[in-house]
Amino acid sequence: MKRLHKILLTAGLGVLTMGSLQADLLQDAAAADVKKVCDVQANGLDKVLATAAMYNAEAVKLGIEFKRLGVTNSNYVKTTTEAAKAKKKEVVLEYKKKGKVKKQKLATDYAAWRACSFAIRALQQKAEAESTWRLAVPGDGYKY
Amino acid sequence: MLLKVVKISALVAITACTLNAGSFNTQAEKDRQALVTYMEAKFKDADKNRAFFPYSSDDELKNNFPKNIKEKDFALGSYAFNSRGKSQYDDIKEMPPYEDAIDAGEELYGKKFANGKSFKECFPKTDIAGNYPYFDDKKAAVVTLTAAINDCLVANGEKKWNEKKGKLAKLQAYFSFQSQEAGKKLDIKIDSQAAADAYERGKKEYYSQRGYLKLSCATCHVQGAGQRVRAEYMSPLLGQVTHFPVFRLKWNSLGTLERRMNGCNKDQGENPHKPKSKWMKELLYFMAYMSNGMAVDGPDIRK
Repeated sequence: MKRLHKILLTAGLGVLTMGSLQADLLQDAAAADVKKVCDVQANGLDKVLATAAMYNAEAVKLGIEFKRLGVTNSNYVKTTTEAAKAKKKEVVLEYKKKGKVKKQKLATDYAAWRACSFAIRALQQKAEAESTWRLAVPGDGYKY
Repeated sequence: MLLKVVKISALVAITACTLNAGSFNTQAEKDRQALVTYMEAKFKDADKNRAFFPYSSDDELKNNFPKNIKEKDFALGSYAFNSRGKSQYDDIKEMPPYEDAIDAGEELYGKKFANGKSFKECFPKTDIAGNYPYFDDKKAAVVTLTAAINDCLVANGEKKWNEKKGKLAKLQAYFSFQSQEAGKKLDIKIDSQAAADAYERGKKEYYSQRGYLKLSCATCHVQGAGQRVRAEYMSPLLGQVTHFPVFRLKWNSLGTLERRMNGCNKDQGENPHKPKSKWMKELLYFMAYMSNGMAVDGPDIRK
């Protein structure tokens, strides 16, 4: 019985911790200045990519990950991180369009900036939408 | 005396249940009415309401937008307010490219599974397109027609079908056609608190901005309905789900509503949601309720 209580208590604490971590990440993202946080020259490539990976994982969990011209932000993060490790100046992103594999080339610094800004902006939009979505609803916040 | 008490208690219980059942859709009905009022006001006279249509030319506003469009007219989507597009649509409808799909759907409906059963056991009636999506209180989840078809396959030991096109779209075309022939209307029910909550979550997602282009569904299909994007007009939320599955000229094939929604997600700059996800089902539940009472008129054609 004592063991069961311990397990339940640990599981409960785990859920609470996860919940508060998620809320913390959202709050952090909402307060972040994207231009500063994702500036590769000021922060270095590795730090910007680590920031991108952290926030994008949260965006994926919440189902709000960005995708641009067939390339998901997870693809940006993964491929750019690999290019940075290999010290490549250029990132080659592969994606599928109508069953065919296509390629997109970007400078590594620029791809890192995009991965980071996409990750944070997705979370910022989620936070903003909490207070703005009703402004578009006829009969509620939308005036015409 | 005891019998009287029992009778009165039963009457009170039934009345309370009926009143509650009616109240779960109160907000949804308010939303729907407000949407109808907005759309009818916006399209009453496009030439006079120019502020709603900033990208349209004088010629379009005077000659292409019909006046006094009413709720039921919006079942035609953007063709309700595009006279020239409507005449092209009417031409295509003379020999619709989806007719073979309806026949194929009918064949699939009657075809036996490996266990000897068929879709007839899961769907005894075929004029059912207007009853989906519905909220299943036992599962505590929204059930779409797409999900119901795949659930039937799995329950009978068969593999699931592609949720966006192919056999599933063909079977849906048959159900929609049967519903249209029977004069069925969309009859979406919200009769529990859990269903009302699912509707509210779907509504919130519809009006929330998303993707790297920061567009909500409403940006294009409520505020943007009737505005031109290149040569096309954006369709209205009102009547948006009544005509699926559709044969899109762009696809050159028949597709489900989920397939179209995935296209919208991509256009917004977001990684598309899976057709079987809770997010998608609740969004479709909200969208379907907004067209409640409109005639089922699928399958249909769109560009």
